[in-house]
Amino acid sequence: MWESFVEGAHLCLRWDTFGMMSLGLLLGILVGALPGFTTTMAMAILLPISFFVHPLVGIPFLIGVYKGGIYGGSISAILVSIPGTGAAVATTFDGPALTKKGQARKALEIALYASVFGDFSSDVLTLFFIGPIALVALKVGPPELAAIVLLSLVIISTTSTGAAVKGLIMCFIGLLFSMVGQDPLGFMSRFTFGIFAVRAGIPLLPMLIGVFAIPEILGAIEKEVSSFISEKVDLSKVGERLRYEEFRRCFRTILRSTGIGAALGACPGVGQVVAAFVGYASAKKASNHPETFGKGELEGVAAAEAANNAVNGPTLVPLLTLGIPGDNITAILLGAFVAQGLRPGPTLFAEQGPTVFGILVAMLLANILFLILGYLAIPVFARIVTVRKSILLPVISVFAFAGSYVFRSDPFDLQILVFFGILGYVARKLQFDVSPMVMAFILGPILEYSFGQTVNLAGENVLRYIFVERPFAAGIFMLIPLVSFLFLVRSIRRRRKAEAHDSGLKGGET
Amino acid sequence: MSRKLIFRFLLVGVILVFVSSGTALAAGYPSKPITMIIPLSAGGSHDLNARVFTSIIPEYLGQPVVVKLMPGAGGQTGTAAAVRAKPDGYTLIFTHNYIDQLQPLIEKLPYDTTKALVTVWRLNYAPPIVFVRSDKPWKTLEELLDYGRKNPGKLQFAHSGNWGATFTPGAIMLSKAGVNAQFIPYKGGGPAMAAILAGDADFHLAFPSVVLPHAKAGKVRLLAVAGDKRLKEIPEVRCFKELGFQGGVMERIIMAPRKMPEDRLVILRQAFRKLYDDKTFKNMMGKLAENMESMDGPEYEKLRAEQKKEYTELVERITGEKIKGK
Repeated sequence: MWESFVEGAHLCLRWDTFGMMSLGLLLGILVGALPGFTTTMAMAILLPISFFVHPLVGIPFLIGVYKGGIYGGSISAILVSIPGTGAAVATTFDGPALTKKGQARKALEIALYASVFGDFSSDVLTLFFIGPIALVALKVGPPELAAIVLLSLVIISTTSTGAAVKGLIMCFIGLLFSMVGQDPLGFMSRFTFGIFAVRAGIPLLPMLIGVFAIPEILGAIEKEVSSFISEKVDLSKVGERLRYEEFRRCFRTILRSTGIGAALGACPGVGQVVAAFVGYASAKKASNHPETFGKGELEGVAAAEAANNAVNGPTLVPLLTLGIPGDNITAILLGAFVAQGLRPGPTLFAEQGPTVFGILVAMLLANILFLILGYLAIPVFARIVTVRKSILLPVISVFAFAGSYVFRSDPFDLQILVFFGILGYVARKLQFDVSPMVMAFILGPILEYSFGQTVNLAGENVLRYIFVERPFAAGIFMLIPLVSFLFLVRSIRRRRKAEAHDSGLKGGET
Repeated sequence: MSRKLIFRFLLVGVILVFVSSGTALAAGYPSKPITMIIPLSAGGSHDLNARVFTSIIPEYLGQPVVVKLMPGAGGQTGTAAAVRAKPDGYTLIFTHNYIDQLQPLIEKLPYDTTKALVTVWRLNYAPPIVFVRSDKPWKTLEELLDYGRKNPGKLQFAHSGNWGATFTPGAIMLSKAGVNAQFIPYKGGGPAMAAILAGDADFHLAFPSVVLPHAKAGKVRLLAVAGDKRLKEIPEVRCFKELGFQGGVMERIIMAPRKMPEDRLVILRQAFRKLYDDKTFKNMMGKLAENMESMDGPEYEKLRAEQKKEYTELVERITGEKIKGK
């Protein structure tokens, strides 16, 4: 094993590997930043390039696109409130607010450092614990997935801002939207009202762009200010860099999110989006100042970005050890492996050890290139916010519409964009937070699907099946009330403290 | 000098306009890139096959072929787009027999694939293999089906989506054998494969490229291969025909709007024919472990008519409802 590792490390130390990996990263960042172009699409299009080159050039190239794409989504999320990919949704909670405060560059930098840290650590974990992760991955079937998603929902739902009832209402609206289209188990059409285009469900990206970007654009038009960022901000400070203390302050959050992301990444079917939500929610829960989250908190950006990138390493494990892709991205990577004559599966490590380790080492090295390239790209992107609003807003609108269309090339998606844009705008005016809706929309189907499968698998007695045959799932289900209780205690204690603090102040005044 | 430069730019611009409009040079089809719709998601076997042939066939067509993934509603989103497209030969669809002939029997769709689309070429076919985890007691397909018959509703069949490429052969087999099994849907072949390896479900069907490495590693036992032929990699595993079942393979087909000019169809078919002599193509398909059993359009059209009959019977048997207007 050790010999294959060393041999593999030698194999990937070639100039063309580095060159193609850098190219892949740049393309990935660019594609991720462009709304509507998903990382999956970019990888599918670029896949043939990897067919005709050496495996240790072609596959690292695609891995570069993958890593870059997951990060790239955060750029447009931070700057113009358009999540370029689903994974960047949680980044829009704090990123755009930071931009408005004139701290775009800081936000981009913390996003980069958090992403690279999350990615790098998860790759190291993957390299050393590939066996155990593979075991966990196989243990996670539908009941476990249902339990994990339910637990995630509980963690996430406790963090919405504003009135709890409003959050709950939005959550239910999101669930309702998620049910539109063919139901995953029985193939029946639900809530489609005979409209053929929504038979496949409401597409995620047009909806995301609608609820996040359109209200932002309309809001900016309303204010009639000449610049996208608030006028009170000293414009000379727009380019201000991240300070070391600020990074230190975020470090605990980054560590926590990396752990969460890597753990969720080991469970097939969970994915980056959920990881980013849970990472963000946990950071908010753990913070001494949860009230600053959602209003431009660096830690919020760091939490989401570290978590979504930390998923990247472990998701490759089922692919490498069993030849089973967990999502579309790994399915494309599988294609690249297969076209190179490397057949991922139980015998891959025995037959192709050095090459596989070479790829894993290349993954580690990709993170270093990622850091450098991202660092060089940030000043370019950060300048966008200094563009005059009269130019910037139309451009963003064009990107919002083009991005929604390009996702599936279906003109109907533009109507979806407009519908959700108006919905998002109205919600904002009525002070409803749209994030619970989006979270429910994304998590709902995973929960429904895995729950449906569990019921099918269980036969007559679902409870018996879960508690007798699936101890792992039962364990997670038991955690749910425990976690809820802990959260409750914590928030009561915090409220008491705040009250005591308030009365103390009042006492001082009189 | 600057005027010369401007002139050059203008010239290039004019040429670009001509090239992209295409109609001005209609004599030489294809004169602009061809779009190949795939109604399935990224990273699937269709995507992979398409990436290979679309990167080689431009040599014989003289124009690039651009893959456009339009997944959704089990293939209906992309199919609807292909049916709606202008019948000028610049929009084709790379689909399979179940989307083409089976789905219209299940659901009311705003299009009729048989009337709207014509086969350009069958690229190849993929025979799914029935398998169980090696520690399960069933040594042969008969034993598996016997167990199913004796224990109604007990046998758990993991499939990769309703009326899809693994569901349908499984359904053909189970309904013919009179087995009442529990159908458990998974999101694609990957998770279903994992379910078998983890022991969550009893049996599944998967394509050779997916399941053969696991069989080689001794993790799973292969019971039968769909279709009329045994596979040369696993000559000991019997095929559906020998076991008394019919069909069950996934045919990967390239289709075009039926209203498209006949001469363009001929050009496309010729390009595909040449593709099958291409060394790189052969080599790549070999690496993907896909067969090269191509079929010309007119020949496949006959097969298509048979499929319709076969699937109507199947659906009527399973759902117990008569299908009107067949």
